[in-house]
Amino acid sequence: MGEHKEEMRDVTFRVLRFNPQVDNKPYFDDYTIPVEKGITVLRALNYIKEQVDPTVSFRAFCQAGICGSCGMRINGISKLACTTQVWDELEKCKVPDVIKVEPLRNMPHIKDLIVDMDPMVDKMKKYSNWVESTMPESKMGEKEFLISEEEFKEYDKSTDCILCASCMSECSILRANKEYVAPAILLKSHRMNVDSRDGIHDKRMAELVKDHGVWDCTHCYRCQETCVKSIPIMDAIHGIREEAIAERGVRDTSGARHAEAFMEDIAKKGKLVEATLPVRTNGLGWTLKNLLPMAFKMVMKRRTPPPPPLVKASKGIRKFREEFNEMTSRVKREQKDHKK
Amino acid sequence: MKPFDIVVVGGGGAGLYAAMEAMKTNPSLNIAVLSKIYPNRSHTSAAQGGANAALGNKAKDDTVDMHVFDTIKGSDYLADQDAAEVLCSEAPKIIRELDNIGTPWSRMDDNTIAQRPFGGAGRPRCCYCADKTGHTILQTLYEQCLRKGVFFFNEYFVLSLSTEGSRSKGLIAMNLRTGKVEAFRARTVIFATGGYAKMYWNRSSNAAGNSGDGQAIAYRAGIPLKDMEFVQFHPTGLRKSGLLVTEGARGEGGYLINTKGERFMNRYAPEKMELGPRDLVSRSIETEILEGRGFDSPAGQYINLDLTHLGADLIKSRLPQIREMSMYFEGVDPIEEPIPIRPTAHYSMGGIDTDIYGRTPMEGAYAAGEAACVSVHGANRLGGNSLLEILVFGRIAGHTAAEEAGRFEPGEISRSEIEAVEQELREYMKPSGHYERYGTLREELGVTLAANVGIFREASKIEKGIADIKGLKERFAHVRVFDTSDVFNTNLMQVLELRNMLDLAETVAAGAYAREESRGSHTRTDFPVRDDENWHKHTLCTYENGKAVLGEKPVTMGKYELQERTY
Amino acid sequence: MKRYAYYLSCINEAMTKEVDRSLELWQHDLGLEFVRMHESVCCGGSNLDYVSPKHFALVNARNIAYAEKLGLDLVTSCNTCLLTIRSAKKRLDESPELRDEVNAILKKEGLEYKGTSEVRHLLWVLVEDVGLDEIRSKVKVPLENYSIAPFYGCHILRPSTVLGKDNPLEPSSLDQLIEALGGRTIDYDHKNKCCGFHTLLVAEEESLNVAAEALEEAIERKADFIVTPCPLCHTVLDGYQSKALKQASVTASIPVFHLSEMVGLALGYTPRQLGIKRHIVT
Repeated sequence: MGEHKEEMRDVTFRVLRFNPQVDNKPYFDDYTIPVEKGITVLRALNYIKEQVDPTVSFRAFCQAGICGSCGMRINGISKLACTTQVWDELEKCKVPDVIKVEPLRNMPHIKDLIVDMDPMVDKMKKYSNWVESTMPESKMGEKEFLISEEEFKEYDKSTDCILCASCMSECSILRANKEYVAPAILLKSHRMNVDSRDGIHDKRMAELVKDHGVWDCTHCYRCQETCVKSIPIMDAIHGIREEAIAERGVRDTSGARHAEAFMEDIAKKGKLVEATLPVRTNGLGWTLKNLLPMAFKMVMKRRTPPPPPLVKASKGIRKFREEFNEMTSRVKREQKDHKK
Repeated sequence: MKPFDIVVVGGGGAGLYAAMEAMKTNPSLNIAVLSKIYPNRSHTSAAQGGANAALGNKAKDDTVDMHVFDTIKGSDYLADQDAAEVLCSEAPKIIRELDNIGTPWSRMDDNTIAQRPFGGAGRPRCCYCADKTGHTILQTLYEQCLRKGVFFFNEYFVLSLSTEGSRSKGLIAMNLRTGKVEAFRARTVIFATGGYAKMYWNRSSNAAGNSGDGQAIAYRAGIPLKDMEFVQFHPTGLRKSGLLVTEGARGEGGYLINTKGERFMNRYAPEKMELGPRDLVSRSIETEILEGRGFDSPAGQYINLDLTHLGADLIKSRLPQIREMSMYFEGVDPIEEPIPIRPTAHYSMGGIDTDIYGRTPMEGAYAAGEAACVSVHGANRLGGNSLLEILVFGRIAGHTAAEEAGRFEPGEISRSEIEAVEQELREYMKPSGHYERYGTLREELGVTLAANVGIFREASKIEKGIADIKGLKERFAHVRVFDTSDVFNTNLMQVLELRNMLDLAETVAAGAYAREESRGSHTRTDFPVRDDENWHKHTLCTYENGKAVLGEKPVTMGKYELQERTY
Repeated sequence: MKRYAYYLSCINEAMTKEVDRSLELWQHDLGLEFVRMHESVCCGGSNLDYVSPKHFALVNARNIAYAEKLGLDLVTSCNTCLLTIRSAKKRLDESPELRDEVNAILKKEGLEYKGTSEVRHLLWVLVEDVGLDEIRSKVKVPLENYSIAPFYGCHILRPSTVLGKDNPLEPSSLDQLIEALGGRTIDYDHKNKCCGFHTLLVAEEESLNVAAEALEEAIERKADFIVTPCPLCHTVLDGYQSKALKQASVTASIPVFHLSEMVGLALGYTPRQLGIKRHIVT
């Protein structure tokens, strides 16, 4: 073994500062401190607060990656300060040895690195992010539910979520509209939906398919890629959509109709009939109002997708159709067996 | 404004269960939860291992009585036997109730709730959810409280208990968002603020905010604290950060190894080996280190926790969080190499004196969970009993408060009382010639406590500790809060937390000094044996004229006679 | 000559025909030959998967099986096709049962999914197979006067568990390619962010907000044009640009090029040849 000295280095933390009582807008303060290899960003921030500037404000609690308090953007990416090694960040600095630290986005800014988490809690309530037990309260505590390993696995990963809101900070759509349900809430909603103890699946689903709900996700996968617990959040979002289509049919929301159109077209031509996609998704009125103004330019540039009769079917489409239909009957058979 | 029927201070497992149960008991009550953090951030989330209950899913012959006996024996016979009875007989009900409302317990092949062996338990009765048990329980309770419409005051820091004669009439707290000091008139108050082991600072596994706020506030308001000298050191804290490697690692078959490559536990607990009770394992590790069989490193001496023989699959499926933590905080992958560990202050057995209904000696004030001392853990808590305690006694305290809230109409909390508190806060911000850094004091407090009131104690060391704490308190008078902003003043909050830790450190040291015996987690090298004749009793510590004054309270006995505690 | 089974994306067949047209112009210049798979069927976008996971597997097993029949890797110029077909492949490779089920049906046309062909993006082929040095040596008209804002698009980066080439949050391959072609690359926050395409018909306002932010930053950073390896991103950033920027009250505009067009320019083809005139913003 023997003694060894940990590597030391001067590192600058460029911290976003904002005190609403005195500042008109946020600004950055630079703190250059000696850092030992193996130290986390949170420990560095603690050092700054204790030894350099006690006014730097951030949340931190467990310091062990389980409470979710210290979510912030480090070099532009939302993560937990307590599980982020300074040395790892040094490789990602735009300015050498300067680590940029900013608050999470998409939530109201309170002070320095602190944002308001209330919108997240409000959405947990709006989307009934709880199990409403099928067991009457008077019976509780007497018997346990029997739950299979397969069911447990369905929500094992999603119950890792610590509500740190990193995904919300990274979400493209939440950025565009604060009313959007947000990834963490979709994850939690799906976790409740697949729990056999829950009795309000349909009610939750009805809320999820409304405006600003599950169909607004734009599949950018930023939530999943930045999730501090590596939870496959998009699986939950797809899970909700799959259930929405299976249970509610495909006609009740534009998102579902849009998805169904793909199935239709592939079955017929093997190709997407893009020209009629807007009408099938949103109806004629919407299409005329929203797309007509652009259509003129598109026609001029010969950019309009061909009308349905001119969409050339894929080669070997006849055989393909047979195969496609065979899969359809297989799936139907399976569903029937499943119901039995 | 109408008073609240119940104000719960703290939004961890105990506080949320109390709120949920109170709403169930009487849905018409006006209930609020005050928490200095969002409830889902509470330290309950860090409890990885599990909660004990004699469900008999794994070991069909397990019984509540066996659980009671293990608890009492584990406590070194300092637990009150009526309290242990309540804890263990309510356990199966609580676990099932949590299951009924959505807790994702791990399952066995027959689809029942899974159970695994845990230190100090005669049967495998620890119910768990992978290694995120506390986290999932906390989430479930928070979800249910949201469902039931419990009123949350998040990010409120409680400053003092307001009293009227001999009873409490509410709280004074600071809204961290606005800096405003606000009064909460309440028929009943439940303290569920968690433990105080963070006073050991860098030698503690606790969250930064586990400063024992509730205990300190209750103490300053005249409510006695019980058995404060008993602080449990968890055997396996990570060498650098003090963060915890759960007992689950040993439950799944991990070995403790010294420099000679020995599984040294065979010298201390030949039968249970690594699964011996925590105090014993902690002392064993500390002894190995003190006797020169520990590994050296810049961050201090340590022992190896070896999981490598368990294989990658088991580690990945059963202990994913442990693996992640060793990698994040220690730079070690337990699949490849052993984890460097040493004991870390982990749990506080002592707390606000309560009866088995959650009542404190002050009318209108209740306490539950780690903030309270019923006592079910006595001199040493068994693994898997802490989550259980917060659930069982959180529930009971919520129920009792709901039943008793109607008995009292509290008077207004006067403007002058609020202003006095405001003035006190402003004092911290006044510039003065000489000032002290709170961060430095906080660290020094941890160092002296670990050295002098730590695992091995003796009169001369504790005297040194008491003198150090006194010195730190004097210096604390010169601590200055530099952040003068009203909005989210974490500088002020951390200073107030330090004040609470300093007050409580005095009670820990006072109890440790008085108790001239060794029992459970309290080991006096100058009094190495248990002394039932003189010390089979609780200590009570009361705040009188700014001083910690010690008293005592008998232990409630039952069917279990005093025995020597061996494993 | 390096040969590839070229997957025909619906959008490149219909709206963004210039992608395949320009690719065909210069493929041989770089020693590449893209064999068009006329049997390609729509990959299902990011929709078919949750409408019917089984059909999703079947359709894409068939697409890949045709490439395997040619003994070539499957290459696409569309990010979403890339992600979709790779996701299907991952699932097929991980589940022998699914593979068997799908193969039982594909037998009808004498096909079998074996898992032997890789599924790759045109950008990857350029950077990995041709190589930056080789590309640099083939440049006829270096893009040296241009500041170019790379816009990667999501589905060539994320989820990294399926894609795994570039760093999903700090990609560099397109930047490197721009530099190899003699251009100056602009480092801006939005280069790895979303264009909003996939919610265009469901939540248009949100989608256009997303697009507008990216466009605005590229304009602010004084890029001469944006380049994207994805025709869907192009459709939003170009086709919907005026609407998006109007919504954001921005008056400027910026041209958006396809990857294949940018390469074509550097190899000496004219904008007209490459179909750049077909863009809405020129």
